[in-house]
Amino acid sequence: MTPSTKKNPIDLLFAVLTAVSSLSIILLIAGILVVLVFESSLAIHKFGVFKFIFTIDWDPVRKIFGAASTLYGTMVTTVLSMLIAIPVAVGIAVFITEIAPDFLKGPIGVTIELLAAIPSIIYGMWGLFTLAPIMANYIEPALQATLGKLPLFSILFKGTPMGIDLLTASVILSIMIIPFTASISRDAFNLTPEVVKESAYALGATKWEVVKNVVIPYSKLGVFGGCVLSMGRAIGETMAVAFVLGNNHQITSSLLNAAATITVSLANEFTEADSDIYLSSLFYLALVLFVLSFITLFIAKLFLIRAERKYSR
Amino acid sequence: MTHETKRKIEGFVALFLSTLAAFIGLFWLIFILGDVLINGIGALHLNFFLNDPTPAGVAGGGLRNAFVGQLMITAFATLIGVPIGVLGGTFLAEYARGKKLSQIISILSDIMVSVPSIIVGTFIYALMIKPFGHFSGWAGATALAIIMIPVVLRTTEDMLSLVPWTLREAAFALGAPYYKVIIQVVYRGAATGIFTGILLSIARVAGETAPLLFTSFNNNFFSMNMNGPMPSLTVSIFQYAMGPYDDWHAQAWAASLVITLFILLITIGGRLILKWRYKL
Amino acid sequence: MKTVFKIGLVLAFVLAGVSAQATDTLNGAGASFPYPVYSAWAYNYHKATGIQLNYQSIGSGGGIRQITNRTVEFGASDAPQTPEFLKKNNLLQFPAVMGGVVLVVNIKGVKAGQMHLDADAVCKIFLGEITYWDDAKIKSMNPELTLPHKMITVVHRSDGSGTTAIFTTYLSQACSAWNDKVGHGTSVKWPVGIGGKGNEGVANYVRRSGNSIGYVEFAYAKQNKLAYTLLKNPSGHFVAPNFKTFEDAAATGDFEPGKDFYLWLVNAKGENAWPIAGATFILLAKEKKEADMKTVKFYDWAFKHGDKKAKELVYIPLPESLKNKIRAYWKDHGIY
Repeated sequence: MTPSTKKNPIDLLFAVLTAVSSLSIILLIAGILVVLVFESSLAIHKFGVFKFIFTIDWDPVRKIFGAASTLYGTMVTTVLSMLIAIPVAVGIAVFITEIAPDFLKGPIGVTIELLAAIPSIIYGMWGLFTLAPIMANYIEPALQATLGKLPLFSILFKGTPMGIDLLTASVILSIMIIPFTASISRDAFNLTPEVVKESAYALGATKWEVVKNVVIPYSKLGVFGGCVLSMGRAIGETMAVAFVLGNNHQITSSLLNAAATITVSLANEFTEADSDIYLSSLFYLALVLFVLSFITLFIAKLFLIRAERKYSR
Repeated sequence: MTHETKRKIEGFVALFLSTLAAFIGLFWLIFILGDVLINGIGALHLNFFLNDPTPAGVAGGGLRNAFVGQLMITAFATLIGVPIGVLGGTFLAEYARGKKLSQIISILSDIMVSVPSIIVGTFIYALMIKPFGHFSGWAGATALAIIMIPVVLRTTEDMLSLVPWTLREAAFALGAPYYKVIIQVVYRGAATGIFTGILLSIARVAGETAPLLFTSFNNNFFSMNMNGPMPSLTVSIFQYAMGPYDDWHAQAWAASLVITLFILLITIGGRLILKWRYKL
Repeated sequence: MKTVFKIGLVLAFVLAGVSAQATDTLNGAGASFPYPVYSAWAYNYHKATGIQLNYQSIGSGGGIRQITNRTVEFGASDAPQTPEFLKKNNLLQFPAVMGGVVLVVNIKGVKAGQMHLDADAVCKIFLGEITYWDDAKIKSMNPELTLPHKMITVVHRSDGSGTTAIFTTYLSQACSAWNDKVGHGTSVKWPVGIGGKGNEGVANYVRRSGNSIGYVEFAYAKQNKLAYTLLKNPSGHFVAPNFKTFEDAAATGDFEPGKDFYLWLVNAKGENAWPIAGATFILLAKEKKEADMKTVKFYDWAFKHGDKKAKELVYIPLPESLKNKIRAYWKDHGIY
């Protein structure tokens, strides 16, 4: 029985009120897009789309702006942080679902998720005061002495270890996205039907073989969606990286060099841009970031929905 | 080595690595929280809560202004964001239940939850700061509200969906109009869940810095004027941590400790409520 | 649910009530170079008059941008703006205090005032052409120091900054390679190095990373006990940054009210002049007379009572004659 809203005027009013509230989401997204396009129109007009994206220069004196260096910084930190985070996160999910005793499953899961509750500014500050010196004094010299000696890797570890660089930023980012990937992977693992697992055990499979050959293949859509969602998070993270990236617009092969991401440029330069084209270019960067993260998050959502449909069948 | 032992060793190594991963996760959490605690507790004097900042390099200042500013910005953000979020969620779970529109808005909200918060800051700067010609606490509150809305909306939708449909039918049978059923029956049934969702959304925005940088800005003085620049704990942490003075660093740690404790307590509290009420 | 709603409503009214009572506040933003002295003045001014002057150090570029957008009552910039720019944006400009930019290094065993550098060396370091501390050029100027074979970490500003404008103007005038490759301005495209936000950020990064060099306002170097260097000035002397050398540089400057006091104080001719000195400026919106008068009142108060504090923080107060020129300039524009 579906009630009719037309009978009662108050009912209609309430329905309209709720409808408007929920449409506010669409309005917001459209509004952000329109405002960002409007504010960056000066820069779009001057630099175009492809030229802006592929221009490395970010030169406020000569008023030439391009997104390539910040896009590069965003991409490197995102990819590197995912390389570090995903194995750990999937390992955590395996531990929680398959290894931990039952009474520990909940508490450990919640504890890991608390990592996501810590504000990003705390990560940033901790990164600057605690992690950066550790990276500079121990980890980075050690990497230089080992991996840095290998022919292919040497270009990744050139320069003086300072702790304020792409590597430190990526490590911090990885810690921040571990909980997202871990909890989505855990949920996906948990949806593997017991029957399927039991039959694999019955065939004499070890616990790891069940995870490797049954659980992970069965839940790969969900795990993959979780990874892409984390990627969306990493792309947009601001404060945690603002402290430890060094804010330098350059494309550098060494992970021990300072760089800039789109978010860091915005945080550092937004209130400070002195010319109109400078501010407009920053809005343009924000627009690029918005489109980039929107698409990434949309893809993640598609995977997660498909995964959900598959399991609920 | 037989095939059998090889399988066993492989399994052992893999499970060992997973356990190690869990410990790595716990290690980071303990490392970060411990560091914040150790560094923060030293500067937690009463003066820290009761005094306003002193000029750079002069000791004895506190962050009273930032505490009050943060509270006001967050409170107003809640007042703006929660009604819109709850009503929006109601639409999705009640009036538009099962419709295509409801699905689309759901997906878009999920995306909005993860959209970089600094973009919301630039958006509000263009919308509220540039035209009015001054930074304002209102702009900061609006920016935080925008981040809150999708979070509240989605949890409300989920919580309302958990209320059994038969409950509504029973009320319709008594001849009650839909809005009354929603307010008196459905909301009551989902009250704990919605409340928890609001708590968690407050925890989410209380630690935000990026959207406040160009909206509520900062203020060295005590200010309750939402029409002017407002100090906030998070922006103060950013300023103090990036600054060169040891006294500033100590205060930044102390502020971090306070805000982290606040957020963790809300988060844990919210989760406990959910567990107790919904066995989630 | 209803009670929650009621509580919310009451809370809304209470909060709206408190938020309505505005105090007498002036908002300014800009250069981080004079932030220590402005905030100290504001602190004392508040005690003396009850008026709050909220100054946020966001960089000179930001100061110029925010006053052009009229989002603050006054902007502050270390880079003097040309009379044409001021006219176009309907702004007024006057200097408030003077100071010097110094180079600071963080090398084990090198103390403040020990390292000697000339403009050419500084230029090459910041261009990334000299990359090691034991470079022959640096060694030849510093025979008494043992310099490590370590890569130089250059620290510069990441934000729009008047300190950068003064420093890069100095480099552009002293070294043509810099002028060709980089130029000068509140923010430039740095060939090498890492960027810190504000004088604070640069001081912080230099303090935290070894074998680094950065440039900060002298007060920041003093307060953070950073090792500043000596510099060779255009008349060929190595000078240390101090009141004497800053004042020597200031003495050669001729500020003209007719040109809105537009003047760079770098590479001054004086025998013992510090080569990277500069005044820091206040920008006002011409049409906002009421706010301008409040700002002017504050600076007039600071001119009268703030010299001692300024000196404590290693800034050079403006000479009395210049203060009077500024007061006349205010009067001409009807804001004094």
